[in-house]
Amino acid sequence: MSETIGTPKRGPATAVDDADREILARVAAGELNALEELYDRYRTMAYSIALRITGESGMAEDIVQEAFLGAWRNAGRYVEGRGSVKTWLLSIVHHRAIDAIRRRRATTELPDREETPPPALTAPDIWPEVAGKLLRLEILAALRTLSDVQREAIELAYFGGLTQQEVAARTDTPLGTVKSRIRLGLLAMRRELLGAGLDASDRDLSAMAEP
Amino acid sequence: MTDRPASAMTHDDVRDLVPGYVLGALEPDEERAVREHLATCTEPHPDVDAFGGVVPYLDETVELIEPPASLKARVLAAAAAEPRSTPEVAVPATTARDGIAGTAATPQSPGTRDAAAPATRAPAAPPAPRQGPPSIVVPFPDEQERAVRERRRRSPLRWLAAAAAVLAIVALGGWNLLLQRQLATQQTFDSAVAQVLDVAARPGSQTAILHADTSNGPRGIASVGPDGTVAFAVRDLAPTTGAGVYEAWAVSGDRQTPLGSFSVAADGSGQLVARTSAPTAGLILGLSREPAPGATVPTLPMITSGTATAAPSS
Repeated sequence: MSETIGTPKRGPATAVDDADREILARVAAGELNALEELYDRYRTMAYSIALRITGESGMAEDIVQEAFLGAWRNAGRYVEGRGSVKTWLLSIVHHRAIDAIRRRRATTELPDREETPPPALTAPDIWPEVAGKLLRLEILAALRTLSDVQREAIELAYFGGLTQQEVAARTDTPLGTVKSRIRLGLLAMRRELLGAGLDASDRDLSAMAEP
Repeated sequence: MTDRPASAMTHDDVRDLVPGYVLGALEPDEERAVREHLATCTEPHPDVDAFGGVVPYLDETVELIEPPASLKARVLAAAAAEPRSTPEVAVPATTARDGIAGTAATPQSPGTRDAAAPATRAPAAPPAPRQGPPSIVVPFPDEQERAVRERRRRSPLRWLAAAAAVLAIVALGGWNLLLQRQLATQQTFDSAVAQVLDVAARPGSQTAILHADTSNGPRGIASVGPDGTVAFAVRDLAPTTGAGVYEAWAVSGDRQTPLGSFSVAADGSGQLVARTSAPTAGLILGLSREPAPGATVPTLPMITSGTATAAPSS
C-alpha cells in the first residue's frame, strides 16, 4: 500500500473522526439510524456544496439524497487509510453535483458564456455564522494569497464543473496558462494551510465537524 | 494536447495533469488515463496527495445553508426502500417480471427516484460529443457504484428490477428489510410529529388536525407558532411522481398563502417546516397536490386540511 502511490501520512485521528468511522461501520451493517446520524452531521455541508455547484435547490436536494444513498450502499467500501469519512462523503456530493451540472450543460442550448458565473471564491463577509471559526479564517487567509486569476480558475473548475480546457475557453486564456494558474494556486493554498498548522496532505478535516 | 494516445502517458504527463485531476477538471480521456496510470505506476506520486489535500478546504469555503427538513425523510425512506449489497446483479430477469405482475406497485420508492428527475432530465439524450460521459475525478468514489448507477440510468427497466429485487429479498427471508422500512417510516413520521408538537407547545400557537374527506385519506397535524413558524406532519400520502409535489397552504379568509412544497416517497409520510405570518382566527392549514413546485393558487380540493385552533388553556 505504502509503496504504490505515496500514501499520505495519517495525522492523529480525532474524536470526531473516530466517531464518524463508528457511525459508518454501523451504516455498513445496515443500521438506518446510523445513516440518520451521518445525515444529521453532514447534511448542511453536503447541501451547501451541492447548492453552490448547481445553484438550484431542487437539484441540490436530489444530489444530497443520492450521495447519502451512495454512502448507504457503499459504506462497506470506505477505505480507512484514504481520508476522513467527512471528506469521503463530501467528495461523493461534489462528484455527483458536477456530474449533474455537466449533464444539464450538455442539454442546454445556451453557450457556457451566457451562464451566470459562479460566485467568486473570495468574499470576506459571506459567512457571518462561522466568522468565529478559526479554520475558516485560516482558509480565507490562504485564499487571499492567491491571485484573482488563480482563484477564478480554481473556482470555475471545482465549483463551476468546467474542465481545464473549458476554463481556458471561457476565460480566453491559453490552456497552459490555466493549468499553471490552477497548479500555482493550489500550491499557494497548500503552503498557507501548512503554515497555519493545518494538515493539507491528509485530506483530514474531521476536526471541522458540523455543529 | 488531447490527441496524444491516453495509454502513452508518461509519468511526467500525469504529473502535469494532477492539479486538474484532483479538482475533477480533466477531460474524460485524460482522467481515465491518469486513473489507469496511478493504478499501475510503480513510482510514487506524492503530488496527488499534496494537491488532493487542499481540495477539502475548498469545500469549507461554501456558504452554509440548511437543507429543507423534508429532505431527511426522503433520504431515510429511500435508504429503507433500498435493497442492500448490490442485489441487482443477483436478480434474474424472470423474477423481475414475476415481481411486477405481483405486488410491485408499492414496495419501491418511485416518488423519491422520480424526484431526481431534474438532475437527470435528459433521459436518453446522448451526451454532446465534446462532453463525453460525465466524469470527474475525486480520488475515492467508487467506480463500481458509478457503473451501477449508469446501468440503472440507462435501463428503462431499472424500476422493475429494483422493485423485484426487494421482493426477491423478501422471498429469501429478508423480512428484516421490511421491518427496517416500517421502522424508518415510523421514525420519520414520529420525528415530524415531534417537530409539530414543539411548535404547538409555544404559547400563542394554533394547531390543526388535518383530515381528508375520505376515511382512509391522508391525515396529520400542523401547527403555527406565534412567530409564524409552521410545521406539518402528514401520513398516508400517495407518493409523488415526476415534478409533482404537495404544497402546504395557510388559508385565512380569501387569502391563500403557499408555505412550501415537498415530495413524498413510497413511505407516504411528509413533513414541512416553514415560515409564515402569525396565526389568525379561523386559519385553515392544508395540503394540495400540485403538478410542480411554485403554485400560487391551490389545486382544489385540498387533499387534507383542518382549521387551526388555540390550545385550550388549562
